[in-house]
Amino acid sequence: MALPFKVTRGSWQHWAGRVVLFGGVGLFIFRAASQWSRSGQGLLTDALIIAIAVTGLNLITGYTGQLSLGHAAFFAIGAYVSAMLVTGKVTTPFFEENLWTPGWTLPVVAVTCFLVGCVVGIPALRLKGIYLALVTIVFVEAVRSILKYDELVNVTGGSPGIKGLSYLPPSWTGLDGRADLNKWFLYLATFFLVVASLISSGLLRSRIGRGMVATRDNETAAAVMGVHLATIKTVVFGISAAIAGVAGSLYALKLTLVEPDVPKFGLLGSVTLIVALVVGGAAQQWGPFVGAMFYVFVDDYAREVGEAPDKNFFIGWMVDSTTKINGLGGVLFGVLLILFARFVPFGAVGTMRMGRAKVVQVIPVPPTSKSTAVADGEPTTVLSAGIGNLDTSNESEPTS
Amino acid sequence: MMLAASDLSLFVERFINGLADGSIYALLALALVVIFRSTGQLNFAQGEIGTMGAFFVSTLTLTGLPVLLSILLALVLGFAVGAGIERVVVRPIELRNPSAVIVALIGVFLAMNQLTALIWGIDARSLPSLFPNEADDFVTILGAPVRIARLGTIGVLIVVLILLYLLFTKTKIGLAMRAVANNQESSNLVGIRTGFILLLGWGLSGSIAVLAAAMLAPSAGLTGSLMLGPFLLASVAAVLGGLDSPVGAVVGGLIVGLVQAFLVGYHPSIGSIELTPDLLYPVMLVILLGVLLFRPTGLFGSEKVERV
Repeated sequence: MALPFKVTRGSWQHWAGRVVLFGGVGLFIFRAASQWSRSGQGLLTDALIIAIAVTGLNLITGYTGQLSLGHAAFFAIGAYVSAMLVTGKVTTPFFEENLWTPGWTLPVVAVTCFLVGCVVGIPALRLKGIYLALVTIVFVEAVRSILKYDELVNVTGGSPGIKGLSYLPPSWTGLDGRADLNKWFLYLATFFLVVASLISSGLLRSRIGRGMVATRDNETAAAVMGVHLATIKTVVFGISAAIAGVAGSLYALKLTLVEPDVPKFGLLGSVTLIVALVVGGAAQQWGPFVGAMFYVFVDDYAREVGEAPDKNFFIGWMVDSTTKINGLGGVLFGVLLILFARFVPFGAVGTMRMGRAKVVQVIPVPPTSKSTAVADGEPTTVLSAGIGNLDTSNESEPTS
Repeated sequence: MMLAASDLSLFVERFINGLADGSIYALLALALVVIFRSTGQLNFAQGEIGTMGAFFVSTLTLTGLPVLLSILLALVLGFAVGAGIERVVVRPIELRNPSAVIVALIGVFLAMNQLTALIWGIDARSLPSLFPNEADDFVTILGAPVRIARLGTIGVLIVVLILLYLLFTKTKIGLAMRAVANNQESSNLVGIRTGFILLLGWGLSGSIAVLAAAMLAPSAGLTGSLMLGPFLLASVAAVLGGLDSPVGAVVGGLIVGLVQAFLVGYHPSIGSIELTPDLLYPVMLVILLGVLLFRPTGLFGSEKVERV
């Protein structure tokens, strides 16, 4: 049979492929939970948490085309809302002494971040591209300085932040309290990443999702076709902020503290999310997962090399044992970001998918019998498209 | 400094300090605008070019070179780095994929930020000032003591503005730069070497960034994060004034500097909330949104008419 194999969407072969992919990733995480070292599990959990936040960012930046450098702020807000509720800094009804269980703070985090995100999305109605990116950066710094503000020390904990958070596994999980804490956070992060991905893919299949892609590809044309830009931009900004906020909350619970100066809560946090998004692949369902995994593990490797460069296989012969290379990871990511923007515009996942399309093509089933099927895989506008400008014909239903 | 601190002299002191800080933001904003006009991009690495230049100045002065000469040499380095970014990063990516340039520039920012730490370490340094900057080097204006270095910074801004004005209006290269900013394709057709002109614009803005950093570092202390805050504030200034307007950049920069100085000096309050300098960014965000909601392209920016 000649390449590429053609597989109909929804056929048993297609489902078999999906089962292999999801099963493989599931097995990988399960294996990590049972066999990896504590630090390895911690890194994997970090990667999954970042992947959640990037899934949120992907919605607004990848699919809707609004470059946001403000998602570190939602990450921070989510972390702080959780920390404030858990330690009883805010008075709330129904909870004894205002001490919330960490798990119940997550819905509050999602709602808070959704509302803040909608408000931050309002400028996006008038501002485009760079103007929006800048306003969102200033938003990050503004949130950070409010968190640091002395007058609010009773609520936010001021510059020292809030310490001593803990989230022990509930008894029904069968995990043993502190001993299995790593495993618990690993499963927790996996669970929320799956939820976030389901929300994201469900959204993309809906009317809003088609409106998002249309807004990104041509705003004027989308408006003319009846897409309500104001609703799309604010609501999607809100949803994407909510997802990033939940990620931030998990991050804080795992870290057991919040401080205004946590690097991930500032400008560098936003840069981290953008790096993961671009490296993984903007407007790709698997992009956030791959990008975040790549970011966290390469960052850790670079830190290890930086601390003891003489022990490294590649550069060990050049340096002596007293040398330390601080900031190697940052330089590496900067250069990688440039290289990806230049040579791999669809990120790792986009490239893998183009490769896969040469072997296996998934043929979407047309909604009605008279429409013609469109082959998926190869983005149609390879040269003109870029970040957040990828043809997603296989995500949405083909038009007749 | 033994003068009676009357209200007027305090006001004058704060006003001039605000103008001096504002001059630094204005310089940086000007550098951003020069690039935005020609390339339509925001140079995220602008501040980092400046930081790198300031560290270069400190290395040169440590070898015994006079400050002025060191700064001039660093300006050349800034020019080379700016031009290099244009040639190596921006141009090849822009040909294939204009929307990815901003991501690549974030990459340049990250790489340069960490590269500076790699080369010069993370310890703070002090940088000698171009102007007399001892404890007693001040002049009295309307009863207010004003440091000479502060006045010098304002002077540097004025000199740069005059030089840029002469460059853009009286020289052939300046004319070509304006033409390229206006319409790249047409300028190419009339025989302007657009590539060279773009390179020149990026180099020029690299030099301006280094100059701003060299003005700032003596008072702020030279660290790897020297220009992070000023770059953000300069971006606010540039957006406030309109990203494609040099006049807007200067006005925006001075506004941001004055707002900062008066927050430090007067602690105005809204209701029960006292606005301390800690709340600079929230205040800036409010000002920025207030202006942008009514004029999405800034105070002096020109509306872009899109053809459907």
